[in-house]
Amino acid sequence: MRHLILGSGIAGLQAARAIRSAQPEAAITMLGREPDPLYARPMISHLLEGSVQPSQLELGLPPEVRLISQDEAVAVDAADKTVATQQGRKLAYDRLLIATGADPRGIGAQNTDLENIHFMRTKVQVRDMLEALPGSRRALVLGGGLVGFKAAYGFLRQGLEVTMLIRSEYPLSQQVDPITGGLVRAKLQENGLDVLVGRDVARFEEDGSGRVRGAELTDGTVLDCDVAVVGKGVLPVTGFLQGSGVDVDLGVLVDEEMRTSARDVFAAGDVAEHFDLARDERWVNAIWPEAADQGRIAGLNMTGVPARYPGSLSRNTIRIFDLDLTTCGLVNPPADSGYEILREEDPGRGTYRRLVFLGDRLVGAACVNRIEHAGVLRSLIGSRTPVPCPREDLLRESVHPGGLFPFSR
Amino acid sequence: MRQVVVRPERCVGCMQCMAACAAAHSQSGALAAAIREYPLPGPRVHVGSGRYGEGFPNRCRHCDPAPCMTACLPGAIYRDGNWDTVLIDPSRCINCASCAMACPFGVIRYHRDPWVSPGRAVAVKCDNCLHRRAKGLIPACAEVCKSGALTFQEPDRAMKRRTDEISRRTSGYVDQERSGEEAPGFMLLRQLKKRSGQLAESGRGPR
Amino acid sequence: MDQKRFSQRTITEDGRLMLAKSERDGVETVWDRLEAQQPHCGYCELGLSCRNCSMGPCRIDPFGEGPQQGVCGADSDIIVARNLGRMIASGAASHSDHGRDLVEVLEAVADGSAPGYTIADEAKLRRVAAEYGVEAEGREAGAVARDLARAMQEDYGTRLSRLGLLSRAPEPRRALWDRLGITPRGIDRETSEMMHRTHMGVDNDWQNLLLQALRNALSDGWGGSMIATEVSDILFGTPQPVASRVNLGVLKEDQVNIAVHGHNPIVSETIMRACRDEALLRKARDRGASGINLVGLCCTGNELLMRHGVPMAGNHLMTELALVTGAMEMMLVDYQCIMPSLGQVASCYHTQMISTSDKAKFPGMEHQEFHSDNAADLAQRLVERAVDNFGRRNPDKVSIPSQPVDLVGGFSVESVLQALGGSLDPLLEALKSGKIRGAAGVVGCNNPKIRHDLGHTALTSRLIENDVLVLDTGCAAVANAKHGLEQAEAAERAGPGLKEVCSSLGIPPVLHFGSCVDNVRILVLAAELAKALGQDISALPLAGAAPEWYSEKAVSIGAYCVASGIDTVLGPTPPVTGSMNVTGLLTGGLEDLLGARFAVEPDPEEAAKWMLSRIEGKRKGLGLDGR
Ligand SMILES: Cc1cc2nc3c(=O)[nH]c(=O)nc-3n(C[C@H](O)[C@H](O)[C@H](O)COP(=O)(O)OP(=O)(O)OC[C@H]3O[C@@H](n4cnc5c(N)ncnc54)[C@H](O)[C@@H]3O)c2cc1C
Repeated sequence: MRHLILGSGIAGLQAARAIRSAQPEAAITMLGREPDPLYARPMISHLLEGSVQPSQLELGLPPEVRLISQDEAVAVDAADKTVATQQGRKLAYDRLLIATGADPRGIGAQNTDLENIHFMRTKVQVRDMLEALPGSRRALVLGGGLVGFKAAYGFLRQGLEVTMLIRSEYPLSQQVDPITGGLVRAKLQENGLDVLVGRDVARFEEDGSGRVRGAELTDGTVLDCDVAVVGKGVLPVTGFLQGSGVDVDLGVLVDEEMRTSARDVFAAGDVAEHFDLARDERWVNAIWPEAADQGRIAGLNMTGVPARYPGSLSRNTIRIFDLDLTTCGLVNPPADSGYEILREEDPGRGTYRRLVFLGDRLVGAACVNRIEHAGVLRSLIGSRTPVPCPREDLLRESVHPGGLFPFSR
Repeated sequence: MRQVVVRPERCVGCMQCMAACAAAHSQSGALAAAIREYPLPGPRVHVGSGRYGEGFPNRCRHCDPAPCMTACLPGAIYRDGNWDTVLIDPSRCINCASCAMACPFGVIRYHRDPWVSPGRAVAVKCDNCLHRRAKGLIPACAEVCKSGALTFQEPDRAMKRRTDEISRRTSGYVDQERSGEEAPGFMLLRQLKKRSGQLAESGRGPR
Repeated sequence: MDQKRFSQRTITEDGRLMLAKSERDGVETVWDRLEAQQPHCGYCELGLSCRNCSMGPCRIDPFGEGPQQGVCGADSDIIVARNLGRMIASGAASHSDHGRDLVEVLEAVADGSAPGYTIADEAKLRRVAAEYGVEAEGREAGAVARDLARAMQEDYGTRLSRLGLLSRAPEPRRALWDRLGITPRGIDRETSEMMHRTHMGVDNDWQNLLLQALRNALSDGWGGSMIATEVSDILFGTPQPVASRVNLGVLKEDQVNIAVHGHNPIVSETIMRACRDEALLRKARDRGASGINLVGLCCTGNELLMRHGVPMAGNHLMTELALVTGAMEMMLVDYQCIMPSLGQVASCYHTQMISTSDKAKFPGMEHQEFHSDNAADLAQRLVERAVDNFGRRNPDKVSIPSQPVDLVGGFSVESVLQALGGSLDPLLEALKSGKIRGAAGVVGCNNPKIRHDLGHTALTSRLIENDVLVLDTGCAAVANAKHGLEQAEAAERAGPGLKEVCSSLGIPPVLHFGSCVDNVRILVLAAELAKALGQDISALPLAGAAPEWYSEKAVSIGAYCVASGIDTVLGPTPPVTGSMNVTGLLTGGLEDLLGARFAVEPDPEEAAKWMLSRIEGKRKGLGLDGR
């Protein structure tokens, strides 16, 4: 059996591992666009910080996997069961996995092609950023999401003055409620980060030699900067699937076994669109653990070992200086839509907890500090079962898992 | 393979397992000296409290597949197949707490630890006392637990005992000696505590 | 934390408001610490852990698989009985040592070496002296006091075969004690022997241990506590009905607020006198305060309330919250039930904390030792410092919650007799006719495991609705007072029979009988009723309850009540259920021996039902109508 995996990220890797464990003899080929060996993508911000060595990011492939790097798929022929690549290869498969991940979303500002304006998605991009650091004093970070955050933190650690520019009213607005966002913002400012909210870049300014020198904002303010990072979210990489017969919405549509609409074609990871357990609708949750899980499930199904994927949940764990934050599921539900919110703040201990319920189910949670039991809440959200205890109990720092789940082992 | 089997209904909440676990994961290995170490050793088993103060020994289940493992960004969490144990490599751990969100039991802690990482905070959790196993000793928590809430045995045997307990109860034959549910004083105490807890919750006033 | 959580902690409005403030102010309270302690150690809760020797410590597995004997071989029955015995020994020691301090002051007064103290009730001095066989006729009070003090000191020793005040118990009860071998011989002796017997390798028969525990408790009830009450009356006056007010609303925004907390009246009485000193009042006015407001907490507060109508700020669980008002210039403590956390709480405010007893020092408190020779002067100096401290109060941190509630306190055997016109007959008639079904003592502490004041007030309400006259003491009395049950108008809340009796006498249906040592007033009244009816106490329609008890003293009280023939129901579970033999004896078997037994019932509604059924049962036994 020939397995072809498009994309050498964590989804592809987990699939390869699952395939290898189930089928020691099968042929596995992995096609990857990047020049670097497989690595842990989220860790690249630690490279920027300078807190890890590049080799520490590397992830090992299982035995006997053929890795083709620096080439990319340009077309899939599901009827013929072949994939055409940029370099002119034509790769045949019995089972195909689309694990091409996501690319950063572009922005509408003018002059984004100036030197020292970066995305932060790959090792290469971080190397470029590191090269731009000597001589840089001021960094501008666009976007108050996870990647923006990590970039800002990395720059701070490298001794730069950092301004974070957020279109919404507070950081992490996709993940957290205004109270949590306010705590985060205060913590960032307390540690020397400039946070500007409700604004965006209209135009970058050039220093005369092709490099960025500053940015003019939508409100007319002009900011100096020697380096800028755009962290405005990601979009699934699906362009090469046009005309392939694989159905695509925002991402590649998959069922519980990670099968796409095309026969013997699977998809997993940031590129895949499955079902969000909290939102109760199709959704792309482009995060590491879901990508890894989906990859594993897809890999098993590709070998014929049945495995089901229940659905995904958005979640985040962020440590911002001494503030720990976890969010999961639907933290910011639309107003007046039948969701109920329970929250508790203990300024003395610096804790805050916000729980979102729909009917008798927990659908979202945000915890600030004392986050050790956040996983219990996550698994309760994921279980989609009625909360088995009085809701207020979930506000307690330590949720007693014994009462929540039938005991195992 | 023998494993630590948890029977929460037997936990009396004495927290000896926590103390023994911390001592077993200290530099000195002895409680009296361990409490003077810096950093202080921390337990890997955590006795939580139920709604009415019932003890609950909470400990890594060494799940397979392990959600913490897939969630780990630097790939520091791995399975030791020989011992069927999920372990954390402290040198790879970046203390990002992604695993906190992944663990459905909330058993991972983040701190400096004299045993695995004295200099820097990392994720810390149960390692099945492999260092003790290597010396022929059983995990510290199971060794000190005298109420049978944590035992070290074949999971199959534990399952069988559980089935026996249930069938004995349904068949009307109650083995006073063996069945935890029949420890009358303990059950009485739990019942009374539950009643007073419920009384407070009910918000019932004196009228 | 939301309001709901606060109201799960306490039923009181002042409590809830101050809990909210304590959270705002970042002050940790007893409830927070209880939460942090969860789960409690089950071995200890079951009474199955033993730390008595260094072959151990040991614990017994309640499930039967683990160890069933300590290293010495003691099984669960022995270990539970030993532990219970030691609890009672500590409780009895506490009351009795409190009594001893009073006897020493009495002796010092007799010797003229206690300038701040006098004999306030000479008639009572002579009455009690007569009971001790001290010649009182025609002798000077001082001389009588000296001899009485010496006689009482004899009671503490071990040279007698029985305590002096046992003569107050009805004859059949005394005979029963003799038969069971539990007649207390010396106050210190019984505690000492209890400790001896629970040493490894002494008494290892759990029943024998429990008998000594009962004897030890009796040495408290008919010994140490009784002496404490009687000598307090002699020195400071026998209580007479007096009006007062209760809850944190008794604190005054425009006055120097001083609280006394603890148990013994020895210190608080002198503070009270200093608070009424003209020069100090002038000084307070100079400092911008309109007066000096002394308030009580816990039982030393009850002592002052009973004798002088000093307002009561709150019971045990309110002691931290009283500081959270931010309006307290000084708190003086003596001993017992004083949470070691108080110093820390006070450090968040301007309150000066003063410890006064050589026996009881606390973190975060300044120690100013009171003795009978320096008390008056020292009290004066400390109150002056409290006045000086008024200026340091931070108005932004002050919040005095709620309106105080009126109450009538000051009931004693003497004042009840007086109210009844000099004889118990009207009460006996009411009992016989069934207008009053019986009488109950509702006593004991607060315990954060029980919603604060709910146990006391719910139980008491239910009892009076069913025409049971309630006598309360200690924290229970404060709870009921806050709930408005100790005013004459509360007769409206009583059943028709009790209401009629209370209305005709103009008394509340719930009589404040004083501090926790004053439980002996209830014993004496019970004994008098029994004697009047020619019965043993256990035959009477009486019952006792400690719905929110927490302390070892309460265990001793419960044990002497049961040993005296009064059924007693406990709210929180004592650490005995690790031995079903001990549990069975306490809650069942004792009835055959003593005519009374224990029950454990956290729900006050259920506890009330149990007490009512016991009372009705005893009525039937007496040939009276039973419901
Ligand atoms: C800086 C940063 C921090 C992050 N932090 C976190 C975090 O803390 N927690 C978390 O859960 N997630 C985090 N993420 C997200 C996480 O990295 C992704 O969800 C995860 O890597 C997705 O894995 P994947 O395998 O689906 O896709 P990718 O990792 O994107 O891998 C896809 C691979 O396929 C390649 N590819 C694309 N198109 C083609 C093609 N046509 N042919 C061949 N190859 C192709 C891509 O170049 C890439 O190498 C972070 C991401 C970044 C960038």
